[in-house]
Amino acid sequence: MGLGGYPPPGHFLGDIGFRTELIHETAAVGRTRVDRFVAGADGGARAGVLATLVDVVGGLLGVSILQPDWMATADLTIQLVRPALGPFVEARVELVRRGRTTMVIEADIVNVFEDGTEVPDPRGSSSPVAWSTTTFAILPGGNRTAPRDLPADLPARLDISGAGLDRPVTDMLGMSVLDAAGGRVSLPVGPYVHNSIQAVQGGAMALLGDVAAAEALGAATGLGAASTVVTDLQVAYLTLGRVGPIVTRATVLDGGAGPGGGAGGGDAPAGPVPAAGSAVVELVDSGAGDRLTTVVNVRGMAADAFGAPWEPASDGVPDRTPHQGSP
Amino acid sequence: MTPPAGRDGPADARHYMSDYFRLERWEIPPADGTEGFSEFGGRMPVDPHHRGAGGGLRTGALLTNLDSVGGFLSGLSVLPRWIVTTSLMATVTRLDHLGPLRVHGRVLRRGRNSVVAGLDVADEGRGDALVAAATGTFAVLDPGDMNVAFDRPAVVPMPPPTPEAPPPEEFFRIRPGVGTTTRLELAGHLRNPWGILHGGAVAVLADVAACRAVVQAHRAGRLPGRARSVEHLAAADTVLHYLRPARVGPVEARCRVFGGPDGRSLVRLAVHDVGADDRLVSLGSVLVLAL
Repeated sequence: MGLGGYPPPGHFLGDIGFRTELIHETAAVGRTRVDRFVAGADGGARAGVLATLVDVVGGLLGVSILQPDWMATADLTIQLVRPALGPFVEARVELVRRGRTTMVIEADIVNVFEDGTEVPDPRGSSSPVAWSTTTFAILPGGNRTAPRDLPADLPARLDISGAGLDRPVTDMLGMSVLDAAGGRVSLPVGPYVHNSIQAVQGGAMALLGDVAAAEALGAATGLGAASTVVTDLQVAYLTLGRVGPIVTRATVLDGGAGPGGGAGGGDAPAGPVPAAGSAVVELVDSGAGDRLTTVVNVRGMAADAFGAPWEPASDGVPDRTPHQGSP
Repeated sequence: MTPPAGRDGPADARHYMSDYFRLERWEIPPADGTEGFSEFGGRMPVDPHHRGAGGGLRTGALLTNLDSVGGFLSGLSVLPRWIVTTSLMATVTRLDHLGPLRVHGRVLRRGRNSVVAGLDVADEGRGDALVAAATGTFAVLDPGDMNVAFDRPAVVPMPPPTPEAPPPEEFFRIRPGVGTTTRLELAGHLRNPWGILHGGAVAVLADVAACRAVVQAHRAGRLPGRARSVEHLAAADTVLHYLRPARVGPVEARCRVFGGPDGRSLVRLAVHDVGADDRLVSLGSVLVLAL
């Protein structure tokens, strides 16, 4: 069940599944399950999936704070510290500042068990796996294009659930790689990815940037996308992606090679292949005259340098099954 | 520290900060007959006192210059109004620049209330290798009495070297020390034309504070790997949200070290204006790398 009729049935947010809760007038939490269908090369939830989580939870908090005004995501950053292996990941979102035209939130993202207790880090203590910020532009006067008016009293808890994922979320979204080295990836636009105003949902755009950068960085380093994990996303939303397909193009920055050179791997040994790199990914709406919709600065690194590679589901990590998409 | 030429404050606050880093800037108007906004070029040398652990320009300095170029081009796009920086997001892939570094900036979006600029940085000494990229967001404001008159196309030449120029910690009045909190005194020459702490000063403070916090975390045994000194650490990717103006000072950057894989530590920074009821003025993060 969504909010004001959003997301509708048959939507990617429902298939990923989120459980959110307003815990204070300026704070909210939300989580999703980590499985192989949302995982990246390190076995943890992809940065783009975590961005979607933050966008959903932050959006709920934003609606709660700003009502009857509405908002649009202006920028979003997410930075991974270590793999978000779950079994669930929880975003703990707090309001940082509400201004006249913008609102800023931050979020710690932690690995949690199903009962909500934190998964200890490798040193046995509690610490976030990622940190995130989001800026929302405040749209005075409410959301005139939402399918349904919001209830006067927002529910404290909100489950967004659907049929679940039976293959990787990137496949469910219909993403297709056109040119790995150029970071060209295509995303069709339709109800499955719409936000409440019938444009592409911001989390899907971040995920598209994640996928495009992994392809481009994987090609540039020779590691391949399957061995490259995106650790940092800096997303600037410029205009809405309405027509589609949304097509990406990536520029890989010079990562150098080794200490004193590349700013990617810290103690990575000098050599011809950098252990990491960065790219700038531009997302254009190809059906709207190639209009630039989003720019994403991305950092990635070799998955085996960041965390353990993904183990198959037979190791006890549960598959996501229909109607269990929501925690 | 005495500001250059012995002054207590800048003759022209629009250029003072970028003069310290010897930033050259030039407007690139749209081609004849085309609509759109001017793009902007910038060039900065890598002077010895601005080099960091990687041997190249320190990231705080780089961000100051990106803020200057992005702010200039965004401001010109909204004349007669002007802008103030609200966020900077940068990824920095090389820290061993040979220099000079050349910046290219363009308006990605101009809205009613804000401008978004995209900036990329090439190292001319390394065959124009692309070494950093950033996105800046700038809020549009009424400039009031601020002088926003510029000769067009705008050109600001590169200032000559200043032999006695102090290192950034001294210029930006950052107190010495190591720990999770680093303090900056809000001297007059650190104010921008709006009269508030320059965004570049916050960027330099973030760079310094994050590296010091990582040293402290190592000493406390809260990070894996061998302990490191500030001289072996460098700030790279940085996110800064400018939430409120810092007007009073002193200004403190309070850090929380999240850690990361060996050699890489993510640091969250909350910057407070201690003299203004300790209010939060900036929030951000710095990726600190061991070199």
